[in-house]
Amino acid sequence: MKNAILVNYEYCTGCHTCEVACQKHLGLEPGKYGIKLTQIGPDQISERKWQYEFVPVPTDRCNLCAERAEAGKLPMCVQHCQAGCMELGPVAELAAKMGDGGKYALFA
Amino acid sequence: MTAENIGQNASLGMSGGSRVVPMQADPAASGRVDTWQEGEFTVVRGNARTAPGCHDNCGILMYIDKDGKLDHVEGDPEDPYNQGRLCLRCLTLPDVVYHEDRQLHPMKRDRADRGKDKWERITWEEAYEIIEREIRAVQEKYGSHAIQVFCGTGRDIVGYHPMLANILDTPNQGMGFLSGQGCYVPRMFCTTMKMGSLYTGDYSQNWIDRYDNPNWVRPDYVLVWGNNPVVANSDGTLGHWIVECMKRGTKLITIDPKLTWCAAHSEYWLQVRPGTDSALALALGHVIVKEDLYDHEFVECWTYGFDQYAENVEEWTPARVAGICDIDEDLIWAAACAIGNADGWALQWGVALDHTAEGFYSGASCYDLVALTGQFDKPGGMVCGMPAFGLPVTWIGSDTDWIPTKRDDHPHIHGDYPALKMIGMPSPDATLDALCGEYDYPVKACILQTNNCLSNMGAQPERIAEGLMNDDFNLVIDLWMTPTAMACADVFLPVTTFPERFGLTGHQPYRTGAINKAIERVGECRSDPQIVTELGRIFKGEDVFPWGEGDAWDEEGFYGYLLRNTGFTWDDLKARTWAYPEMKYYRYKTGEIRDDGQPGFNTPSGRYEFYSLILAQMGMRPLAFYEEPPESPVSRPDLAEEYPLVLTTGARQWGFFHSEGRQIPHLRAIHPEPEVTINPADAARYGISDGDWVRIENQYGSCVQKAKLDIRLKQGVVSADHGWWFPERGREDGFFGTFESNINNCVPMRPGSTGLGNSYKSVLCKIYKVER
Repeated sequence: MKNAILVNYEYCTGCHTCEVACQKHLGLEPGKYGIKLTQIGPDQISERKWQYEFVPVPTDRCNLCAERAEAGKLPMCVQHCQAGCMELGPVAELAAKMGDGGKYALFA
Repeated sequence: MTAENIGQNASLGMSGGSRVVPMQADPAASGRVDTWQEGEFTVVRGNARTAPGCHDNCGILMYIDKDGKLDHVEGDPEDPYNQGRLCLRCLTLPDVVYHEDRQLHPMKRDRADRGKDKWERITWEEAYEIIEREIRAVQEKYGSHAIQVFCGTGRDIVGYHPMLANILDTPNQGMGFLSGQGCYVPRMFCTTMKMGSLYTGDYSQNWIDRYDNPNWVRPDYVLVWGNNPVVANSDGTLGHWIVECMKRGTKLITIDPKLTWCAAHSEYWLQVRPGTDSALALALGHVIVKEDLYDHEFVECWTYGFDQYAENVEEWTPARVAGICDIDEDLIWAAACAIGNADGWALQWGVALDHTAEGFYSGASCYDLVALTGQFDKPGGMVCGMPAFGLPVTWIGSDTDWIPTKRDDHPHIHGDYPALKMIGMPSPDATLDALCGEYDYPVKACILQTNNCLSNMGAQPERIAEGLMNDDFNLVIDLWMTPTAMACADVFLPVTTFPERFGLTGHQPYRTGAINKAIERVGECRSDPQIVTELGRIFKGEDVFPWGEGDAWDEEGFYGYLLRNTGFTWDDLKARTWAYPEMKYYRYKTGEIRDDGQPGFNTPSGRYEFYSLILAQMGMRPLAFYEEPPESPVSRPDLAEEYPLVLTTGARQWGFFHSEGRQIPHLRAIHPEPEVTINPADAARYGISDGDWVRIENQYGSCVQKAKLDIRLKQGVVSADHGWWFPERGREDGFFGTFESNINNCVPMRPGSTGLGNSYKSVLCKIYKVER
């Protein structure tokens, strides 16, 4: 089954490491991305509840680090994600992890 | 410990002891190798430390191509410290190692040409001849104490500079020109006075199997106070360890004027006015005492001065403090009850606590909460941070007894500040005054090793430049031609990055390990410790420093010597890459903390001291207190009429380490310009739009930065970047334009009453739009 990337974005801190890990691996100049952070908020939802979150989104340059996968390694972004909130796996397996109340985005 | 024997160069709670410490079981160590082949690359396993600068020691795999060049790096998935992850700074490491701006050769410049781009390449031999001649001239003319030894933060030099001070017979060694020694030193002084040891939050980092260890429990709460841990990674704490704890159920309470990521993900966020932290800590203590939420057993058996503490916090009611901090009163109650009722909670404190005038007491007031709730040495609370395997050179170097010295024959430049007198540290504030002829003490030669004070931490940097450009001799040792080197150096020595050298890890107490050499040195660079030992050979002789010379330096022999009391040989440690000492909780109960083997803590009473006997004896205030910052809307309403905004500085940015990273394209692209953050409501009041260039100004000076409008910041406060210089500009163009956007123009060189603390995070200012 086709692999995908699952982001548990409740824990993404917006550190840009995925972007740079990918840029260095693919030889991309600054401004070109294989994965790009997006930002939600800051939005004051209620008096004491804020949404200020990030979601990294793979671009069309991403091939899920196919050659690393052949060598038994994780994609650069997944391995170096500082929050450990990204996961590579078959789509159905990752989809099954969603729905536990956490905040997920699945990129397939 | 008594006041008398804290003495010269006190180790600030980091005493190592001399016993051989057993290792934690590491089943994988026997099969671990530090070099192997992977396709076309040779892979070298090591620890990422330093240069460039960092407060951590992440496990790193360095991929070397067939020509011996560093091709790329990855995190080491087997390393418990970072578990395969490297942040963006390490991932751009090859761009640092091979950067065209990196300085690769020793250079000299005529003293008359300071500030000018009139450098001449010289040999190491000639460089050392000049250094010896100039230093000896200063020693003979003024005395050795006229030499100042300054380092920066986060580099593998902090442990070696006490050696250099011994070598040069000077008592004056510290962080150069950081007003009030205000980076962790105030908090460490506090821990030394109150309990004699340093403690850090228990995020499982002491355990080799980390979050899976059965003895570890996650903290119920982490109190993130004046710190943005996921960005800062300060003082040997990888901020994302806290995120891992959150996944396992830890909740956050964040105290910060800005909605950081942690604040947005906190159960309670207390958006305090900068500089009021101490008042809040006293109010939290007030609630915990009044509501009887304190740990009676710990307080009764293991603390001293609780009655005075309880009396001291009586007046700091939540109602009163809510007004001082400008937060809702119920949040104080809620936060206090949360930590009071928690089984385990960790204090994740940051440099914001140091960066107020009475910063030492801010730290003390927070620390008291840890004692009040009995969190010391408790799983999921705070864990004792003594140097791993008793290897003090990993952090605060106290392995200097083998170097004969006359450093203690001279008075150090303490500026008459009581805390600095006690711990034997120079006052950066008095040092600057002396350089400028306003304090009677000779400051005639400065050694600035990994210290870019003009761009980064030096308050009133133009005054520092003036002082440094008028002394007798300056030696700058760094990776780059920094603004500081351009302004003042007579001799410049180039240092290696960490893939070019061997060494020992440091800056954290959880483990020790080897810095592993992966590539040949670029150009003629030498490591920071090598330069120190070579100066040792020159000034103290080859018998004292018998580790070769020049390119024949016996690097591995030197580190083997430093390991002599640990039970490791250099080869053992290099092959293992890391080793964790045995970990235990509740060591104060079993006599494993005090040097005399008695239960308790390293204080005169043997207990945690709410009321510090040493401070009382030394004439300082023995109990924590709150005092308004010297310049605040409350203390100086007259000044606030002209400068209505509170200025806080130095918030950490992804990709940069203080003044480092500006010349690395992928890092600079994330944060290309110096930014000052302002709430849109304030910006509207001053006619400022997002992206406008603005001047930030107060009675001390001004600078220009780009306005970033953000509702995350408290109204009435602006938060300005630090550390900016523009490597892309000319060397003579205002030393890479470093004064132009330097927020330290607006910060006074002025400590608090103890000599520690400063005002980097609490002065007043106005801002207005400028054309650029």
